[in-house]
Amino acid sequence: MAFFVVPAFALVGIFVVYPVARTVVLSFLDSDGKFVGLQNYIKVLSSREIVNLEGLSRGFPLGALVHNLLWIAIHLPLTLALGLVLAVLLRNVRGGAVIKSIIFLGMVMPMIVGGVMINFMFDRNLGIFNAFMEIFAIPARSWTAYPDTALLALIFGSVWLWVGFSTVLYSAGLETIPKDLYEAAQLDGASALKIFTKITIPMLRPITIVVVTMSLLWELKVFDIVYVATMGGPGGASNVLALQMYLHAFRAMDFNRSAVVAVLLTMSTLLVSLPLLRTLRDDQS
Amino acid sequence: MSRLFVVPVLLLATILSAVTLTVIGPWAGPEMEKFMPVLREFEKQTGIKIEYKIYRAEDLANLLPAQFAAKKAPGDVIFMWASFIREYGQKGHILTLNGVLDEAKFLPGALDAVKVGDKLYGAAYTGKVKPGFWYRKSFFAKHGLTPPNTWDEFVELLEKIKKIPRIKAPIASGDGVGWPLSDVTEHFLISFGGPELLLDLIEGKVRWDSNLVMKGMNKLVSLLKNKYFGEPTEWTLVLKQWWNGDYALYFMGSWITGMVDDPNDLGVFALPGANGVVFGADYAFVPKYTQYPEEAKKLIAWLCGPEGQALQVKQGGHVATAVGIDLSSYPPVDREVAKIIQGVTALPDLDDSIGGEFQPTFWDQLKLLWVAPDRLNDVIRTLQEKAPKK
Amino acid sequence: MKPKAMLVSLLGWLVALVWILPFMGVFMTAIRPLDELLNGWWNFQTFRPTLSNFAGAWNHPTAALSRGMLNSLIVAVPATLLPLFLATMAGYGLSRYKFRLRTPLLALVIIALALPQQTIAVPIFQMMNALNLVDTYLGLIIVHTAWGIPWIAFFMRNFFTTIPKAMEEAARIDGASDITIFFKVVLPLAMPAIGSAFALQFTWVWSDFFLALILIYSPDKLLATQRIPLMRGVYHVDWGLLSSAAILVMVVPIVVYLILQRYYIRGMVGWSLK
Repeated sequence: MAFFVVPAFALVGIFVVYPVARTVVLSFLDSDGKFVGLQNYIKVLSSREIVNLEGLSRGFPLGALVHNLLWIAIHLPLTLALGLVLAVLLRNVRGGAVIKSIIFLGMVMPMIVGGVMINFMFDRNLGIFNAFMEIFAIPARSWTAYPDTALLALIFGSVWLWVGFSTVLYSAGLETIPKDLYEAAQLDGASALKIFTKITIPMLRPITIVVVTMSLLWELKVFDIVYVATMGGPGGASNVLALQMYLHAFRAMDFNRSAVVAVLLTMSTLLVSLPLLRTLRDDQS
Repeated sequence: MSRLFVVPVLLLATILSAVTLTVIGPWAGPEMEKFMPVLREFEKQTGIKIEYKIYRAEDLANLLPAQFAAKKAPGDVIFMWASFIREYGQKGHILTLNGVLDEAKFLPGALDAVKVGDKLYGAAYTGKVKPGFWYRKSFFAKHGLTPPNTWDEFVELLEKIKKIPRIKAPIASGDGVGWPLSDVTEHFLISFGGPELLLDLIEGKVRWDSNLVMKGMNKLVSLLKNKYFGEPTEWTLVLKQWWNGDYALYFMGSWITGMVDDPNDLGVFALPGANGVVFGADYAFVPKYTQYPEEAKKLIAWLCGPEGQALQVKQGGHVATAVGIDLSSYPPVDREVAKIIQGVTALPDLDDSIGGEFQPTFWDQLKLLWVAPDRLNDVIRTLQEKAPKK
Repeated sequence: MKPKAMLVSLLGWLVALVWILPFMGVFMTAIRPLDELLNGWWNFQTFRPTLSNFAGAWNHPTAALSRGMLNSLIVAVPATLLPLFLATMAGYGLSRYKFRLRTPLLALVIIALALPQQTIAVPIFQMMNALNLVDTYLGLIIVHTAWGIPWIAFFMRNFFTTIPKAMEEAARIDGASDITIFFKVVLPLAMPAIGSAFALQFTWVWSDFFLALILIYSPDKLLATQRIPLMRGVYHVDWGLLSSAAILVMVVPIVVYLILQRYYIRGMVGWSLK
């Protein structure tokens, strides 16, 4: 038995568990290795890079933490709604599988390329988004170059990339709902809307939990896209926690602050995965 | 008897011809093609073979410390940032060049960037200058425009250009990692704060919110607010647009002469009052761990001396740090640039010299300033935060 | 077809068009010379397609994609096969044997799924530095392996719980050892799941940027994903070059996806449905 399990978990122990523990420890030390308690946490949480209260009156940047929260607030509902709508829509379309594949391509590509595509989409000269905006008589600009729109451009671009996930998952889920439930409801005279809200959505709950969890994790951890598209700019207007962690560690050489950001990020992701953890544990036991 | 001589002579010849020096530089493509003739000339004159390898400075910054720690070096003559050469010279990884180079043969100030005390750790090669705003002479002729001699004339010029129908904006804003925006900003700082200001900012002797700095910044912001600058656009794309007439002026380095179809149509003027120009000289050094110290020193002395530099400027797009090079060695377009910098102080690039965390912050903040000039105070505050302190 | 169904179909294909538009844009930018694109790639006044951008990106003097793709392959193949092997065994162990540490290990696996790569970045860099494995493929492969084991183990374990133990019990009665049973009986049955795990892990390692950014910096060792931001960088680079590089880099995972599509999808979906 040990033969099967030990090699794998030995590697995980050395190269995952130990580094995580080390990062946690680093977050409580200063650059000389002295223990400083929560000092680093206070410094980081009150820094303008993480939360920028001036932004509330002035506009972006609002701080990396707020940016991630915004990402969640916009990206998550859109992913869920669009995914579900598209899954339902494409169920009875000829060639629906092909369309789903096309939508899913965004998930398959490396996110560094995803970032390039977002930059490209919103570019003043080459971006299709501006052509679209012309219809509404909105003047063309490079949307990722301006502080008030940089983050939003990235977020909406990421919806384009990520919606394939929820679409495909919901599509698969829709297939598992027994047809007789629908038939019975129709016999009872229920309206399409009622069927949708009272049968479809509840039956899709397990999938929704997965989509929500994975989306939240993704929205918290986003790095590649921001790195290549805006590098967190202009003026930090599109900074995100993962990028800030990197900047602290590998630009400013401040490993302790970077560890704090990493720990905060980790705590958020663990928090987010709790529901999924619970349902999975329930299923296993 | 003569046979006894032949053998050692042959051996010596083999050994000598076996000496291959490795030169490491960042130039690739067309820029590399301009560098190779200079290396070939050295090969011809001395018989020492040279191999050229391409490494960007950013990559060397990651690679060299580890190699030095292992007492190795990937090349015999390496081109690198001056700040790096100074730092690692002090740490003892670089051969001193006192006595190898004749310091009198260089522009005043050119070698300061690689000197620590009286120890000279590097040599200055040719460089690119960032002289000012470039325009197409044909464009100016067509619209009856002339280069300005005062600040007011400059603003008038911009206003006139703005009214030309096809123009998107008078001045094109090139963007990339962050320069050319930083180059324009430095030009304003020099013009209104004096050449010393740049050096003081690098050393941290002056604050970003001081009057001297704000003079230049406010002038810049006034232009930004009046929409005289275009929206930051990828700098090679906007070069094409500027050439096509969408913009009139483009602040660029002297390498632009190699990037346009008709270099003879190029004209350039600096901001009135600019007494310093940012001279992006390339610096080279010889690492302590080279296998051929004597040959490497010979190479660097020749390369960065008047002979090597004269050859390089002949290829176009380069300006020499060595003195005594006749203006006729320069191709016609570069001669204009060479003329501009006569009598002017050669300055190092601000963000390259400071490096560290300041450089990407500087670039990022300027990207913000360009599209939101009303945020000047925030930008200044952030720059002061990350600026080097004395 | 009923009018309503037609409308729905139309809508569906409209959506597909909207979704594929950015790809078209990148493709157009990659094959057309820059002068044609100054007014938007959707203008077809002149159309002189050329493959020079692809050649330029492939042979770029400072960020050659040819080298980059090779490097990515050198990392991706071992970093897929190794964790696949180790984690399948671990998943089997977790599903078949009851032992005291089982629940905590399972919990660990699930936690590792959520972990951001940023959390291990600095210590991993320091560890690899100490082991002299910084800037080596081996170092990166080890980290990817350790990172991939938790999710693959979890995935395979779920799969194994759906397989009845009958065949294994029969083999055990016949006197086969546990190890023989695993390799001769279980593995062949697990092929579909292994296929899924392979597709997912390979595309994830290929697409990785952050770990490569931390651990690899020699110019000739850079992976394909690292070369993309370089092309936006200091020297003479334009959208045409960048677009063609982007296409080349994304082609590989897309091809893997198209070939192994069934397994890929089943892999993703399998997390929520049994």
